[in-house]
Amino acid sequence: MPAQAQQNEVSDQNSVRSPVVQFHAWGGSAQVNGYIQWVSEQVHTQYNITLNHVKLADTSDAVSRVLAEKAAGNDSQGSVNLIWINGENFAAMQRNGLLLEDWVNSLPNFALTNPSRNPAMITDFGIPTHGQEAPWGKASMVFYYNSRFVQQPPLNLPELLRFAKDHVGRFTYPLPNDYLGISFLKYAAIALNEKDRDLLYQPVTKTALAHITQALWRYLDELHPLMYKQGEYMVRQASQLQRLMGTGELLLAFSFTAAEIPSAVNRFDLAESIRTYAMEDGSLANVHFIGITYNTESVTAAKQVVNFLLSPQAQAKKQQLAVWGDDSVLDFSMLSASEKALFKPAAKHTAALDTQKAVPLFAEPHSSWTDALRQAWFLRYGERF
Amino acid sequence: MAVFQHITQSVRVLLIALLSVPVFAGLVGVVLPAFGYFPALNAFDFNLGVFKHLFALESIVNMTLLSLLTGLIATALSVASAFLLLSVFYRSSYLNRLQSWLSPLLVLPHAAAAIALLFVLSPSGLLASVVSNAVSVFSSGAENLSNTQNVLPPMWEFPYDRFGISIIVALALKELPFVFLIAVSVLSQPQVKRKFDGYFNSATALGYAPVTVFFKAIFPVVYSQVRLPLLAVLAYATANVEIPLLLGPNNPPTLAVAVVQWFNHVDLSMRFQASAAALLQVVVTLIAIGIWLIGENIIERVQGRFYTNGSRYTGQMFASFVAYSVVASYSLLALSIIISTTLWSVATFWTFPTLLPEGFTLLHWKTTLSALAEPVKNTVLLATFVSAFSVLIATLALEAEALNRQDNKRSEYFNRWVGGVLASTLFLPLLVPGVAFLYGLVWFQLTYFNDAVWLHLFISHLVYVLPYVFISLAVAYRKFEPRYIQVAYGMGKSPWQVFVHIKLPLLFAPLLVAFALGVAISFSQYLPTVLSTGGRIATVTTEAVAAASGSSVRLTAVYVLVQIFMPLVGFVLAWWLPTICFNPMGRYTLLRPRKSKL
Repeated sequence: MPAQAQQNEVSDQNSVRSPVVQFHAWGGSAQVNGYIQWVSEQVHTQYNITLNHVKLADTSDAVSRVLAEKAAGNDSQGSVNLIWINGENFAAMQRNGLLLEDWVNSLPNFALTNPSRNPAMITDFGIPTHGQEAPWGKASMVFYYNSRFVQQPPLNLPELLRFAKDHVGRFTYPLPNDYLGISFLKYAAIALNEKDRDLLYQPVTKTALAHITQALWRYLDELHPLMYKQGEYMVRQASQLQRLMGTGELLLAFSFTAAEIPSAVNRFDLAESIRTYAMEDGSLANVHFIGITYNTESVTAAKQVVNFLLSPQAQAKKQQLAVWGDDSVLDFSMLSASEKALFKPAAKHTAALDTQKAVPLFAEPHSSWTDALRQAWFLRYGERF
Repeated sequence: MAVFQHITQSVRVLLIALLSVPVFAGLVGVVLPAFGYFPALNAFDFNLGVFKHLFALESIVNMTLLSLLTGLIATALSVASAFLLLSVFYRSSYLNRLQSWLSPLLVLPHAAAAIALLFVLSPSGLLASVVSNAVSVFSSGAENLSNTQNVLPPMWEFPYDRFGISIIVALALKELPFVFLIAVSVLSQPQVKRKFDGYFNSATALGYAPVTVFFKAIFPVVYSQVRLPLLAVLAYATANVEIPLLLGPNNPPTLAVAVVQWFNHVDLSMRFQASAAALLQVVVTLIAIGIWLIGENIIERVQGRFYTNGSRYTGQMFASFVAYSVVASYSLLALSIIISTTLWSVATFWTFPTLLPEGFTLLHWKTTLSALAEPVKNTVLLATFVSAFSVLIATLALEAEALNRQDNKRSEYFNRWVGGVLASTLFLPLLVPGVAFLYGLVWFQLTYFNDAVWLHLFISHLVYVLPYVFISLAVAYRKFEPRYIQVAYGMGKSPWQVFVHIKLPLLFAPLLVAFALGVAISFSQYLPTVLSTGGRIATVTTEAVAAASGSSVRLTAVYVLVQIFMPLVGFVLAWWLPTICFNPMGRYTLLRPRKSKL
């Protein structure tokens, strides 16, 4: 302990009282690493904080490290300060009390995510975040259509059904074994059960499943015969969906990565007449978060970094296709005109999503619903491969 | 007996072991879990529960019938068309041309054929575009021309149709050249050819039309000789995975596809059901073979009257009509496959129903080629080793056979017995469905040599490559002019000296062709590669199948072309190398075994 204090003193002297923040984040992507490098340069010049990116191969390594520190009684000088997490890792850290509590609401920029309208900002796979982690970026479900044949794309599920009636055989979704396929079912389950939506954010029960699927089956029973191949053959993978859009056999499809659509147009795999948009009744969003560990020494500096990560400047930079292409978590209705302007790409791609429009985000249902919905679907519509 | 003879004899036995041990071990590896025994999952008691569960599945009947019928119909179609083609062309100069056109299709991997068919026959494919353009040209001009700007692809059943017609078309497309070329190789054996010429001359003198002569006199002889390879084709057709995976329905799929999906299921307990289904697949294949044999029997009985009815022109018109239409549709299909695949691989935007892309680009080739470096390296390395090893084993085994023929006193009974076992073992991996034994084999491999990925890959490819290499070499080896050898022995040379200094140089061309064939077979393996490595080693074929379900039609087209080019390079090399070295008999020797390869 004295040795460590001495060391801190030395480093403090060297960097003129510049606090050090250790940011543990997956380091497998050159684009992500480059962006974090930019962030550390910014926080150094703006706040005189030294941000050190510890590149992880597997985030759970950092989680077990914090756990080991807690077991060893190191409660104030942890080696992990900021950590990039969501889903299971968050659940594990929360369960073991490894995260700093209730700090997110004190960040000025957190309000820009409009958490009251976007529950996805405060729920992580069905688990309330309780202000223990701040949203950083998101992937949300976007739809895309061929504007040569479709003037007005459907903006909600009832309109989707009408679209399917007008354009029989030109829409489909992947089998629920596929990530995008089960995501479509989740989106429909949430959108069709407006009143009992909170059932989906609790662990699944038999009665809840029966209740939620009632509206879902009614909808799908009507939709399937109007789909590609009368719903008899459904594509196995998300990629096949995009392929059928590319050959013109489908007129409407969806994706979880808005950035992949303009880049597919650039590679000629999708037609130039493809346009991307988000459904107005809501868009299933998968948010990733930043947590601060409970044993962080310079909490103020850590919070300053996270507040910077949520600033329009940093979020706009992250969203640039050439930088990272990760969607902003900010709600555009909360931004000023000059802040919105930051997000305007140099040259807007016609097939890219209009990021200026604010669409409500559906948080991922509680993780137990994934298997339950999938199995129920197979039971009803036949085991398909 | 000299050391060399001992070696060749043991290699002959080794060959039998190399083919039969993996297949039988693999079968055991699925039989045990199918009856509820799977130590890895703590299941130790034998029972029929797994089968009960399997047969309780709603879609099981559907899956089974789909596998059985697509396999049977496709094989019947390709066998019938192949023999109709032969009956019309067997004495014409077109036979050689047909042979050289169909040979490249033989090395086209099943996966590539299926993907290429997608380009031509899917609703946005070349055929639909041509039809759509034709319709707009024929109907009144001006207003329709502007309409073509906004035409959507039609909606028809192909691909993924629920009756498996797409599967049948693709299988028949792939099998026809195989059946045709085997039959030609029988017909072109010198003694057989002499005999058939005799039949033909006397029958035409009696006023029989050529087609009638073929069916009354030649077909029965040829058929009995190609029967075993045909049954292998049938077995393969009922159990193939790539084609139904890429073109077939999925509600439900064929049984073989379901087996693969169950084996790959994250829930490990699905392995029981997968194993039981794999055994069911063996039964389905056996039933298909049974039905085929019954069909043969019925035809044989009916034929009795056909042979003796004295009619001189039976089938002449019909056969010519069918043969010409088969040739026409086949060449049209092959041509459109080549055109559309090539166009897609360099296309920029391409909107239905225009016949050409808006522009051309090398982007897709660049993307694919940089991603393909590793898979190509793996593919070539593996194929070279497997095929070289197979050629070595096959040559030594054939040499043992030749040496035995020379001194027929010694242990004759044993040698004949080994020969008989060898002949049937060769077809063992071709007759037992891959989905049935490969999984069991993988189970054994993982249990005993988990880390030896390349060894597993080597063995599972060898099982498929070795039979083809052996059969291809055997034709040339057994035809070898014995007088060269007799003269050499007369000069006091040992078997080893004769083998190295006379046989190998003279057989250089067929050895290379067998090697190229082995390389091509190894290139085309999908299931053995995916299974034995668990996806850890990527080859061009596994990448191509993955790309076929990927988002880019254009990249897929590049993969298909690479898949076609790679084996062709092997064959061109095999063809060209003997013209620059070891060229005692010139190109001619090379052409003949090439034609008669399997």
